[in-house]
Amino acid sequence: MTLTVENLTKRYGDTTALSEISFEVPSGSFAVVLGESGAGKSTLLRILNGLTEPTSGSVYLDGQEITNSRSDVGMVFQQHNLVDELSAYDNALTGTLNRTGFVRSLLNRQPLADRELALEALETVGLLDEAGQKVTSMSGGQQQRVGIARALVQEPALLLADEPVASLDPSSAETVMTYFRETATKRDLTTLASLHQVNIAREFGEQFIGLKNGEVMFVGSRAELTPSILEEIYGDIQTEELREGTEPTESTDPTGNAATGIGANT
Amino acid sequence: MSADPDSLVGRLRRRFSGGSQGDSAIKQQHSELKRARLVRRLSQSALLAGIVILFIGSLRAAGFWSTEWIEYWPQFVDALAEYFPPKLYFGLIPFVDLGQYYQFMKEAGLVGEAGITLAIALAGTIMGAPLALLFGILGNERVTPFPLNFVFRGVMSVIRSIPSLVWALIYVPLGGITPVTATLAIGTDTVGELGRLLTDELEEIDDGPIEGIRSTGANKPQVITFGMISQIVRPFIAWAMFILENNVRSAVSLGIIGAGGLGVTLTIEEQTFQFTNMMATILFIVLLVMSVEMISQRTRAYLREDDDVEQLSLYQRIVGFPKRMSDSVLK
Repeated sequence: MTLTVENLTKRYGDTTALSEISFEVPSGSFAVVLGESGAGKSTLLRILNGLTEPTSGSVYLDGQEITNSRSDVGMVFQQHNLVDELSAYDNALTGTLNRTGFVRSLLNRQPLADRELALEALETVGLLDEAGQKVTSMSGGQQQRVGIARALVQEPALLLADEPVASLDPSSAETVMTYFRETATKRDLTTLASLHQVNIAREFGEQFIGLKNGEVMFVGSRAELTPSILEEIYGDIQTEELREGTEPTESTDPTGNAATGIGANT
Repeated sequence: MSADPDSLVGRLRRRFSGGSQGDSAIKQQHSELKRARLVRRLSQSALLAGIVILFIGSLRAAGFWSTEWIEYWPQFVDALAEYFPPKLYFGLIPFVDLGQYYQFMKEAGLVGEAGITLAIALAGTIMGAPLALLFGILGNERVTPFPLNFVFRGVMSVIRSIPSLVWALIYVPLGGITPVTATLAIGTDTVGELGRLLTDELEEIDDGPIEGIRSTGANKPQVITFGMISQIVRPFIAWAMFILENNVRSAVSLGIIGAGGLGVTLTIEEQTFQFTNMMATILFIVLLVMSVEMISQRTRAYLREDDDVEQLSLYQRIVGFPKRMSDSVLK
C-alpha cells in the first residue's frame, strides 16, 4: 500500500515538532527516516501509528485517509515495549488484541488461526524454538524480534519502526535489521523506519526521508543520498566525521557498541 | 558561661549584631557563622523544651501522675514470677519452667485455636484482595480520569482510617463479635490497605508495555489488563502476603475482644489471672505470627527476586516482634 503524508504538522505549545511535511512511500518499499535527535522522527511515526494526534495534515494509505487506525499499522519500538511477564508467544499474540474480544483475550482463547499466525510470525523472526520463553530471559536483539513478530501478527498494511536497533550492539542490530527487512519484503509490506545509524540505514533502506527541525530536507533513493545530503541533515559535527571517516562520538549505550556509525559507509 | 552578666549580654548582643562595620571580611564572616550557630542552638533548645512539655503533658493525661500504678508495682513483680515460672534444671541451672507452658498449650488445644486465628486472617485476606485490586486499579488516574479516581482513593482512605477492631464492632449486628464478623472486618481492612499499596505500585509502572499494547489497536480494557495489570501481578501477590502477615496479628487482636482463636484464650487466662497460661498463649502467638512472617517473606523474596524486600534476620524478627504486634493491634 502506498503511504502518502500530506502537510502534516504537529505543535506542542509554542514548539513545532513537524512543520507541513509531505512525502510518499511507494507500496512495498522499505523507507528510512533520517535526522538528528529532535528532528521530529519519533513524532512522525507516532502520528502515523495513531499514538499522537497531528495538529493538522493528513495521512493516506492507497489514497484512503487513515485516522486513528492502529490495528492497520504495526509498530516496533526502540525499547521493545513488550509485556515482561509474558512469553514470546503470548507477546506475539497480543498483536491479535484488536480483533479479539476482551473476555476471549483475557481467557487466552484466541482463534486457532491467530495462534498459528503468532507462531508463524515467531518463525519468520527465527524465534520459533524460543516461543515459550519469557521475554525477560531473552537478549535485547531477541526481544526486538519478538516486537517485530507482534507487529506482524497484527497483519498490518503499514509497518513502522522507531529506532528499532538503537539500543542493540552492532551484531544484534544487523541480525534484527536483516529479519526486519526480509520480513517486510516477503510480505510486501510498506515499511517506514527511523534510524540514526546511517550505515545501517544505507544498507537496508530503499528510500530515504531526511528530516531537520521538523521539516523534510530530502526524499530520495540510496544513490541520491550523498555525503553532502547527509551533511545537510546532520549538520557540521557529524560531517567532519563523515569526511574524515573517523568513528563517531555519539553513542547510545555506555559500552559504545551502538554508535551512530555515520562515518562507516562514506 | 561568663560569671559577669554584663559581659554575657554584651557577647550575645555582639553575636546577634554580626560584628561591627570596621571588621575584615574574615572576621565578619566568622561572626556571621557564630550568629547562625547561636540561632540554631536556641531553636534546637526551644524544640527540645517543647518536646519535654508535650511528654509531661501526655504522661499527665495518661494518668501517670496518679500513684495507683506505683502502688500496684509489687503485684506486677509477683506476676513476673508467674509469667516466667522458674525451675532448677539438673538441680543447678535456673531457667523458665517450659514444661508448664507445654502442659497448657496441650490442655487448651492451642494448635486448634491458632488454626482459627489463621483461618480468620486467611479468609479475610482472600476476601479483600480482589476488591483491593479493583479499587487500586480504579484509583489510578490512567484508568479513571481525574477527579473521578479520587472517589475510589477516598473510599480506600476512609476504610484505612477505621481500625479493623472498629470494623469488627461495626459488623456486630451480624451476630456479635464472632469469627465471621472478624473475617469481614479483616476483609474490609484489606481493601483499604492493599488497595492503597496497589495504587502506589501502579503509579510506578513502566509506560513501555502500555504503549506497546496500545500500538496493536487493543481496546482500553485490554490495554489495562495486558499493559498495566500484567506489570503488577507479582507486586500484588507480594503485598497480599505482607498484608496477610498483618492480618494474622489483627486476628489475634480481634480474638481478644471475643472473635475466637488464640485471642480468646489469652483474654480468658488474663481474666482469671492465670499468668503462666497467659504467657504460654503469648508464646504460641509469637510462634504463629513468626511462622507466617517467615513464609510470607520467603514468598516475597522469591517473587521479587531478592530486590527491595526487607529481609529480617532472626534477631530482628524477635526484637521487632512487640512493635509489629502493637502496630497491627491499632490498625
